[in-house]
Amino acid sequence: MEPVSHICHSAEPNNSHSDRRDRGFDLNRAIDNVSHWLPTQGPLKDFIHHNTLHAVQHLPFHEGVALAAKIFGARSYLPLSDYQNCYREGRISDHAIDWALQRCGLSDSRRQALRDSLFSADKQSHYPPISLANHGIRTRWLNELEVDLNALAHPVLFRLLANFLDQGISRWSLPKANESFWDCVLRLTQNSLLPLYPFQEKSVRDLLNLGPDQVILHCLQRMVGLETWYEQYILEMLLGHPGWSGMVRLIELNPQTLLARRDISLQQLIAFELACELALLQKKRGANFGKIAALKQLDSVPRFNGGAMQTQVPLRLKVWHEAMEWYLHSELLQALKHQPVPGRSPTAKPAVQAQAMFCIDDRECSLRRHLEEINPAIQTFGAAGFFGIDFLYQGLDDVYPVAQCPAAITPKHLIVEAEERQTEKNPKTGKLSGLHFTAHSMLRGWLFTQTLGLGYAARLAWNVFRPGAGLLNIEQLSEVKAHSHLHLLRETDEPTPEGYLLGFSFPEMADRVGGLLRNIGLTKDFAPLVVIVAHGSSSVNNPHFAAYDCGACAGKPGAPNARAFAWMANQQAVRDILRDRGIDIPAATYFVPALHNTSRDEITYFDPNSYLHRDHKVLHAFKHDMHHALLRNARERCRWFELGPQSHSNKAAHQHVVARASSIFEPRPEYNHSNNLYCLVGRRELSRQLFLDRRSFLHSYDPASDANGEIMAKILSAIIPVCGGINLEYLFSRIDNSVYGAGTKLPHNVIGLLGVANGVEGDLRTGLPSQMIEVHEPARLLMVVEQATGIVDKALAGIGGLQEWLDGEWIRLVSCDPTSHELQLYAKHGWENIELPDALQTPAAPHSEKIILGKTATIPVHQLQGRHA
Amino acid sequence: MNSLILACLAFPLLGMLSILLFGSSEQRISTISLWSSRAKGASVLGLLAVWAVAGFPAHEFAWFDLYTQGEYRFPILFYLDRISAVYLFCAWVIFSIIVRYCRVYLHRETGYQRFFLTIFGFAFGLNLVILSGSIDMLFAGWEIVGVSSFLLIAFYRHRPQPIRNALRAYSIYRFCDVGLLLGAWMSHLLFHDSQHFSQLANLFQHTAMPPAGYASLLILSWLIVIAASGKSAQFPFCFWLPRAMEGPTPSSAIFYGALSIHLGVFLLLRTMPIWTYHYLPRTMVLVIGLLTVVIANLSEKTQSNIKGQIAYASITQVGFMFMELSLGLETLVLLHFLGNAFLRCYQLLVSPSIVAHLLRVEGSVDTDFVIKPSAMREFLPNSIRDTLPAVLQNTLYVFALQEGNLERLVRSTLWDPLKQIGARMNRVRPAIRYFSSFGLIGLIILGKNETLFDRGYLSIPISVAMVVASLSAFSQKHSPFKVWNAIATSCGLAGIAVWMMEPAVYADVLLFLSGVLPSWLLGIGVLRRMLAQENFAEEPFRYRAMAETRPKASLLLFLSFLGLVGFPITPAFLGEDLLLADATRLHPWFALPITLAFVVNGIAAARVFVRLCMGRPSEVCSQAHESA
Repeated sequence: MEPVSHICHSAEPNNSHSDRRDRGFDLNRAIDNVSHWLPTQGPLKDFIHHNTLHAVQHLPFHEGVALAAKIFGARSYLPLSDYQNCYREGRISDHAIDWALQRCGLSDSRRQALRDSLFSADKQSHYPPISLANHGIRTRWLNELEVDLNALAHPVLFRLLANFLDQGISRWSLPKANESFWDCVLRLTQNSLLPLYPFQEKSVRDLLNLGPDQVILHCLQRMVGLETWYEQYILEMLLGHPGWSGMVRLIELNPQTLLARRDISLQQLIAFELACELALLQKKRGANFGKIAALKQLDSVPRFNGGAMQTQVPLRLKVWHEAMEWYLHSELLQALKHQPVPGRSPTAKPAVQAQAMFCIDDRECSLRRHLEEINPAIQTFGAAGFFGIDFLYQGLDDVYPVAQCPAAITPKHLIVEAEERQTEKNPKTGKLSGLHFTAHSMLRGWLFTQTLGLGYAARLAWNVFRPGAGLLNIEQLSEVKAHSHLHLLRETDEPTPEGYLLGFSFPEMADRVGGLLRNIGLTKDFAPLVVIVAHGSSSVNNPHFAAYDCGACAGKPGAPNARAFAWMANQQAVRDILRDRGIDIPAATYFVPALHNTSRDEITYFDPNSYLHRDHKVLHAFKHDMHHALLRNARERCRWFELGPQSHSNKAAHQHVVARASSIFEPRPEYNHSNNLYCLVGRRELSRQLFLDRRSFLHSYDPASDANGEIMAKILSAIIPVCGGINLEYLFSRIDNSVYGAGTKLPHNVIGLLGVANGVEGDLRTGLPSQMIEVHEPARLLMVVEQATGIVDKALAGIGGLQEWLDGEWIRLVSCDPTSHELQLYAKHGWENIELPDALQTPAAPHSEKIILGKTATIPVHQLQGRHA
Repeated sequence: MNSLILACLAFPLLGMLSILLFGSSEQRISTISLWSSRAKGASVLGLLAVWAVAGFPAHEFAWFDLYTQGEYRFPILFYLDRISAVYLFCAWVIFSIIVRYCRVYLHRETGYQRFFLTIFGFAFGLNLVILSGSIDMLFAGWEIVGVSSFLLIAFYRHRPQPIRNALRAYSIYRFCDVGLLLGAWMSHLLFHDSQHFSQLANLFQHTAMPPAGYASLLILSWLIVIAASGKSAQFPFCFWLPRAMEGPTPSSAIFYGALSIHLGVFLLLRTMPIWTYHYLPRTMVLVIGLLTVVIANLSEKTQSNIKGQIAYASITQVGFMFMELSLGLETLVLLHFLGNAFLRCYQLLVSPSIVAHLLRVEGSVDTDFVIKPSAMREFLPNSIRDTLPAVLQNTLYVFALQEGNLERLVRSTLWDPLKQIGARMNRVRPAIRYFSSFGLIGLIILGKNETLFDRGYLSIPISVAMVVASLSAFSQKHSPFKVWNAIATSCGLAGIAVWMMEPAVYADVLLFLSGVLPSWLLGIGVLRRMLAQENFAEEPFRYRAMAETRPKASLLLFLSFLGLVGFPITPAFLGEDLLLADATRLHPWFALPITLAFVVNGIAAARVFVRLCMGRPSEVCSQAHESA
């Protein structure tokens, strides 16, 4: 018997329509309610990680997940046996189980019974519950009328939607200028000698004249019959293809996400689909098919009620999951307790040779560690990878400007890249190497296939047998040529026709540079060299490439931001302003932008001309250290690649990751954020001696400089959605890859440059493909801030709506006191003391390479003994 | 040379068997597949080298007679000439690249073993087709390719859409197999022993005296063309190809981009002497090619997904090949085939790059509609000048968007009538059914003494009953037992009908039934075990995912299915051929009902198999349900 806790909630985020039944059916409100449940994943070109279950984020984590399971028919936890295996392998301790049991809110006796039941075998308890998406009223069409409405209507709908929204794959575009989806439907059904299937019958065709809202009401009345079921019917219909519904809603609300704008609304989609269904039902079963309202046993169908559903949280799995998370979290917490408190150590610090600023990204966690291990005189910092500079960027090869900042910020400045020497641009189309990208079917194609087709045999064989040789001529944005410059300084205050300001003024630059330096606590003790390391990832044959790039740059490589930051910080005018504000950058200090390619583990340094006259010795030394750090980093990553070299050679590992990133047959160029788990906001000294196994986001922060918590509030409001979004997207994609994730990548087909689908007529897949999350340990993020609770409280008051992430425990927040390293866990009702058992000891090792030896799974936090703070 | 030919066939088969037997881990499977593809490559290259040294002869190799009875012989016959050499080479190149590609691409994928099994099965079937020396042999390979294609489309069996599309492709294959089956039979009938590909050309050399009448040659050509256009997705069967792109990308590339789609062309190349003999079938091939080019080219213009676009581009090129064939440009076709196969394979494999390419390199975002109405506007009367072009434009777009409505056309002309008849039969009251079957048995007993009427006539009601049984299996949705029984009944009736016509061939009938009966019994037994705890009629449309929950039972059911539909692993395959040959010596009309039954049985059985074995294991937490 599976113990469950029953929760009944009125789950509306805004509880304003408790009187819904009294006032009858309001279409617009119903659409608003329903759209709340749709996924919000944008087109492929930019990938913004977000909480997959944003619809239930206002609830506590476990309740929200249970409610979502009831709507979407998804799993909520891993299978019971997975947790039990973890326990057997020592990755969950008894102490963690006790901790989780304490918090499940049961009486002592029932708690003991629950504890006893934890170890019994049960293959089914993690299965999804009876859900709206799979067992709702729409199953009636199949079970009673024997009409598979989804199979009939979806192809028609998907094809039309895909062609309407297409961004450049099809040769003939469907919509005319400024034409709405509905007008387009009308045109194809009523003004065509061959009406769009299934609108052959005049009666259905004429129905469309009523306009979308009336069509919806009419169809619902014919097909459902009972007003109380209307909203649920619409929701179930949309959940039949969540990918397309979500995409349409997203485009309706943010038309600018499409490069070629389209005028479409969810209402029009619903109206068209309902009309299709009605037409098909009439075709198959005549005009007098039975309505839903006439269904026997209508009571046994799960009811939506605007999200007010009774849900059950399976307690056993909940306890296991919390125990797993808490054990993983306590590994870090235990280690943190014993970190030296900076400023107290008697030994004098060695002089800092160079400073390097990285993105907070967990993939940079290991690179920073290796860099510091190789040369302890290098100091590293972490900041959100757009480096505080928000702008739209148009590179040399870009036809459209793209936003280079987190999704929450709307940039106002446009930066254009220009060639330093004016060279003639190659014509971009018609290049021989790219011929296969157009399908060539007719006469020209006849000629091409006859003549060039044979050449592709050689090319294919070359690509498959000699990957990494670089024959595939797709230039990646992350491999930007280093010889160009950005137009950063604003010359005129006249905005562009689109309303953007072309470049920044010096005070604006100083605002941004100073703001970032203050955030990370780098306001004094500048080294002669500061390297700004952005990151990007190059991969071939990968439609999800944007999900591999920098999350803080809305799924782009961060190179433009690093270049902009370095250029600004090198400007004398900017430094003058900063000096007035208390940040004195010495004249000898210079900033160098660079880009770390996380899949190939290579680094590119930009704008060499801007520091030609500087002292290059430090830079040379830094480049040398960086090179070796990258080799070591490549080897550390290789331990996850089963087909990679499991040798001790860093060189072989590096060659492997380069080949991997340029192979057309490699679905895993890298494992991205897999196993992300921690987020540390504090001084580097807190984590410098820790081996965190590439699992931590690291943001630099100086607790001493922030008495009011203002800086903390700024940092939190930037990183909670970014890191939390990454973490939860990986978590849910891992827990149910077929509902919350995108399934396996292998059969994916690119649809209209918008998304991927299975096969030609599938729904768009949202979430992450299985190749990205397969090794992920699904645990929530533990965010540790190095600040006293009092100041954190002040900061939390300033982050507004984001607090629901913490209150609902979608992220766990721990405060680590800067002087005593006392740890306290945030809870909705106040801070809780954290007590860790004495048995928990942090293992120690001399250096990273010793730790990773022969390990293929995640590695607990280690203390690095060979290092000095 | 002969042993090399056998090696070309043996290595894929060996690879498949050893993957089946020893493929316990991914590492081992990949080692086995790598080595067997290398061994295959060595034998292909060796064969081609030996063949080249021998001066590119048209080489025939008769291994042994599988079955001989009277004047009927079923020889295992291989044939290598220029056409097979080109196909063999291309198949080797693409296959070895794909095997290498999938080593990494499919890493950690569930169904790794299944994938390599099917792809080796495909390689075996393909080489069998390419090296076959007669239409019979070709048909065996053809069936193997068809079934492995079906399995690969439904590779992701958790989702209903791949399953539906696999069934769609399979039913088209099955229909077009009629063409090949009847074609094989007719070539027996017309050319007797000389239906070997090696002798076809000689047959037609004496232009003065054709080996058979024009009418029968015409029918034969027609059958061959149907078979070819089904496999190559030509008019009117274009629609299945893009929808078959459901498996992992490399499998789509090898099947629908590169090799399988060109098998129709291969068949036409092989049988060229037959259908080029007369200008009518030539024109037919030309028209099919032309229609395909037009429709597929239009459809390609409105494909907003990359794989669909490549599929239609490929279909168009195959359409061109058909046209070239009808003009007799054999060498050009071979060249074209190579070019198209490599190009499409490459295009499909790199299809995910399209996003990076279009957005980052070309930045081509919007396209323009290419129909320019202005030119013809001048000639139109003022009143319709503005409306008519818009109507035409919309019509053209809808036509292209719906891919020429070919799918609905095929469905409404081929399947719907059959389904309706079957459904009507199923509604007939049991009493009437029993009555008529008793009547039939009575007639058979009456006919025994051969005094009242000629026994041969009895086969007419029997064959009608056979077709009826098949159709009732086809439209039966609520009970898999009934489907299986109806199929077995239909097969049994086929046997009886032949026996009625010619009592002397009872041995052939027994051979046929010895393949069918055990399969049927096996099927019934497995079904009984599978459905013991299920109430099938309650949810007849659910995919039950037995392949995962009960893998052994579903493997048995699959074998039973193969046996029932006459797949070349049981005597039923040979028996089918024999029955046709025996029965139609005297009664040519019988070919039609028996092949109809054969096709329909296959689809009905596949449908049952799919409903029971494919799908996602139903995962519902019943616990939560109870307490709710």
